[in-house]
This record gives sequence, structure tokens and C-alpha cells, in this order.
Amino acid sequence: MPRLLLLLPSTTYRTAAFVDAARRIGANLTVASEQPSTLEAANPAGLLTLDFQHPERAADQAHDFARRHPIDAVVGVDDDTAVVASVVSARLRLPGNPVEASQAARNKHRQRELLAKHNVPAPRFALHPLARDPQELARSITYPCVLKPLHLSASRGVIRADNPAGFVAAHARLAAILDGCDTDFLVEDFVPGYEVALEGLLVNRRLHVLALFDKPDPLDGPFFEETIYVTPSRVPAPLQKSIAQCTERAARALGLMEGPVHAELRYNERGPWLIELAARPIGGRCSAVLRFGGDGVTLEELILRHALGMPIPSLARENVAAGVMMIPIPGAGVLQEVRGVAEAKAVPLVEDVQITAHPGERLVPFPEGSRYPGFIFARGEAPSAVEGALREAHRRLEFVLA
Amino acid sequence: MDEAIRITAEPVDNHRCKFVVSQPLHAAGVRRFASADEAKGSPLAEAIFAIPAGGVTEVIVSGNIVTVVKDNPAPWPAVGKAVGAAIRAAAASGAPPVATKAAPAAGAVDDDVLYERVARLFEDQVNPMVARHGGRVELIDVQDAVVMLRMGGGCQGCGMADVTLRQGIEGMLAQHIPEVRGIVDITDHTSGANPYFQASKK
Repeated sequence: MPRLLLLLPSTTYRTAAFVDAARRIGANLTVASEQPSTLEAANPAGLLTLDFQHPERAADQAHDFARRHPIDAVVGVDDDTAVVASVVSARLRLPGNPVEASQAARNKHRQRELLAKHNVPAPRFALHPLARDPQELARSITYPCVLKPLHLSASRGVIRADNPAGFVAAHARLAAILDGCDTDFLVEDFVPGYEVALEGLLVNRRLHVLALFDKPDPLDGPFFEETIYVTPSRVPAPLQKSIAQCTERAARALGLMEGPVHAELRYNERGPWLIELAARPIGGRCSAVLRFGGDGVTLEELILRHALGMPIPSLARENVAAGVMMIPIPGAGVLQEVRGVAEAKAVPLVEDVQITAHPGERLVPFPEGSRYPGFIFARGEAPSAVEGALREAHRRLEFVLA
Repeated sequence: MDEAIRITAEPVDNHRCKFVVSQPLHAAGVRRFASADEAKGSPLAEAIFAIPAGGVTEVIVSGNIVTVVKDNPAPWPAVGKAVGAAIRAAAASGAPPVATKAAPAAGAVDDDVLYERVARLFEDQVNPMVARHGGRVELIDVQDAVVMLRMGGGCQGCGMADVTLRQGIEGMLAQHIPEVRGIVDITDHTSGANPYFQASKK
């Protein structure tokens, strides 16, 4: 039985999906996290602590572990652990993405440099020190623009500015969010257009499109909180093809070769624009809407099968529409209760409503926050019906904050 | 009576769904049915196994919670309506929806003996470990050598609860009590008020 080293940060939403997938394919599973499990001593072959903050040290630790328990594949589940997985795989001489490629996907500035070098359409960008006088910098910017941190995920800290005053205000918020964690930030052109998300799997550098999601709610700022994803996309087929080609070119520009990719793109009259490319699967609990082949194989199972070189039954998504809503953060405050969950679940086509925020939790809106309070899932014959079901279910929810 | 029953479906994944009923269906511990044959004599479980094309492989009844496991890829809303109807019919019939557990046959694994051993393992080894993260694991029942448990404190709603369960507790049971055939977690993780690790990253 092959041994899989699964890198699961303690704050990931994806634990159950990946652990279940590993069990279904019969892998011998070792879960590594940056925090020790309380039961690690009871199952030293199945639980491991790795220093995710320092990938080289994590590789040393994994190498020691692999002497006792040989490892056949390493899989990360988010931006940080994708880099760690590459470093560990390289140390153990296992297949995976080159370390430089994973690092480029993780660092928004390095990513844009490589996209520009390879003529992949992407917003114009510039790197600036956070310490530079924002008033002075604001005079040199082309508007509208978007300020972005280099490493944060889930659109946290991403702010649009339409003029110098807006830029200075956005700069102050971003500096407070980063709080000394980063010395630089990106400023890039705001690209108007319709946004989509592409979920793919790279196999020997070739992109297999697993799903193309429409994002029917406009993402025009000033903040960029995600809401609804619906697949299949209603974008015309030729444009879908050019979106896939753009994504594959971006993956090649970064040097990515194997495993999941999640890309955010916009398109307008000038065609598709690559906004972000990550060497990881879709975030949150959104992957729950994706099923493949006739047996309802999950995205996580596809990823693990690919990593372990096991046969993949099908890369074709099931033939129905599916959608997920990342429930918008309802405001700032401490969550008391969520009302209307049963009513939301009763909406036709809605399959589940998962509230992931817990009573007593402090909810922080974008751009300072990024934790969605829950997810709504729907499935049906037509994308428009799925989208309508998600909106209706959301309308029935009431978040009580104090 | 029937009209007063409220049922909330809480899918765990595409194969497992909890149905929370507004009134208790089986107060005497937990009953697990792994086949239609095992369900004979328990009208509720019989009806759920009989759902046409339901693909039901397991039914667990504990207090006011009915957990149904199926092996077909159909989404829960299709099967869930039939499960809800079965629950309503069983509750309205006036007969006990679930029969009391029979004594083990001669030579079979004695669940009561297993219960004592699992309880000791939890108290002596598992709980002192998970207590370091403010967690607790409660043994609810052992039925047909399947352990039903509930996680509390820091474990309830914890982002790593599945790791604790599958990589930790399951392994300890396999090592110390190999007669155990499986684990069913009946925790309502959505109600966890103080999870030790909280999911937040995209």
C-alpha cells in the first residue's frame, strides 16, 4: 500500500475531504501539520509535525521520517503547503512541481514577473516598499488600481483605489493588515471584466480543465469578497477555450508541471486576463460541489490518485450544474446565532448549508477579515437555477451579531 | 402528532447524512443496522432500507438523530425526502420505531465487554491526550463491534477533528482492541463553541 504524506495546516477547511479521499483510495496515510497532534505519540507513523514556516527544515524532518516510513507522494492542500510539498518532494526525489515554480505561484510579485516575461495577459503591476510615503506614491499611480499584499490568501488585504485619496486610505489599511509581516506590496491596474475561476489538474505540464466556474456577482471592489461560483460556465465555448489556453500558458510560465491549479481570470473585449494562479485546489469547502465520473469521485480523490500515480477513472465532471456560495460576512461583531438554516436547506436544489463560524466567534469583514461564516451548496439542471437557489437560501439566513 | 414532527437534514458528505428529529425515536442508547436483515423488527430502519433505489447501507438511530449511509451518488435531497417520510411514518405509528438490542449470540463479540474496554482506553489514554487541547471524547455505545462516539470541548468543530479521529483514535483502537470493526462519530461539529483549531485559510 503506498504511503501518502498529506500536508494539512491546522487551519485548513479541507481536512475531512482529504482524509476521507485518502481512505477511499486505500493509501497509507501520514498527516503532517505545523502543530503537533495530541495523539502523535500514539500513532507515530500516521501523524507528524513539520515546520511549514521553514520548508527546508520541514524537508529535513520529512527525510528523517521517510527513513522509517518510506513515502511515495507528498501533497499540500493550500498555498503555503504547496511550496513545502515541492521542497519535501525534491528532497525525497519524488515527482512534483519544481520548488521555484511553487514559490512563484505563492509570491504574487514573482508570479507577475514570470507572466510578463512570457507574455501572458495580466494586469500591469509594480512592487513598492510599504515604507514609502503613500502621498508621494499616490501621485505616480494610474487609476483605478488595486493594492495587493504579496502573500495573503482569500483576497484579504486586496483593495481598489480610484484616486490618490483612495490610494492613501487603502495603503493605511493594508499596512495595518500586514502589521510588519511584509515590507513590500503590489499595485496593479484594475482590469474591468467578468470574472471566472478555473479548476484544473496538470499532468506532465498539460492542463486538464476540471471545472470552469462563473462568478455572477461583479467583483469591482473596493474589496473583493467572493460569493457565488457556478459551473458549468455560461461563457461562450470559444472564450472558454481561450481562458483554458491562458491558464495553461500561465502555468507553463511559472514552471508548474504536476498537480492541482486554481486560477482566477477576467475577460473583456481584449480577451482573458490572468489575475491569479495558485498551485493548489479551490479553497474553503467549495470543492464539495465537484464530482467526477459516474461514481461521484471527489476532487481530493483525483488529486491524491494523480499524486500516487494511481489510475484516475475520469476527469470529466458530472453532467449537472453545481454551485457554491461563500456566505458573505454579514458585518463586524460577535456571532450569537444563525437563524433560518433549516429554511435555507429547504430551498429546492440546495443540498447543504454549512455554517462554519461558531457561536461567540468574532466576524471581521473584508479586507481585514477573510473567513467566510459558511457555505451553501446547490445542484440542478441549469446554472441559472442553481444560482437562484443559492441566492434564495442565502436570503433566508439571518446572522445575529452582538 | 405526525404534523408536529420537524426533521432537519445535515449531510456530512454525499454518502452520510444526519437527520435531526424534533422528538426522540430511540431513548435506549444507540442502534446500528448494517443491512435490511439486521433491520427486521425495527420499523424505522426497515422502511429506510426499503427506500427504492436509495442505496442505503447503514442506519444508526440514537435518541433524536437518525444517521443514514448510502452508497449511490444521488444527491441527498432525492433520498432525504423518502427518509423523512419513513421517520414520520414510524413516529406516527405508535409502535417503537426501533427494537431494543438483543443479547449477543453465543460466540459473538460481546458489545458490553467491548464497551468496557473502549471506555477504559478512552479514559486512560485518549482523553488525557486530547485534554491538552481542551478536548474530550465520549463513548456513546458499542454496537456490533462498531464504536459510537461524540467529541466535545476543543475537539467539537475543530478543523483537525477528522485527523484526531481517523489517524489517532482509530489507530489506537486497532492496536489495543482489534475486535472493534469501525467508528461512527455522531458529533454535531457545527455546534462547537470553542474549537481548538479553527478553519480560516482559503
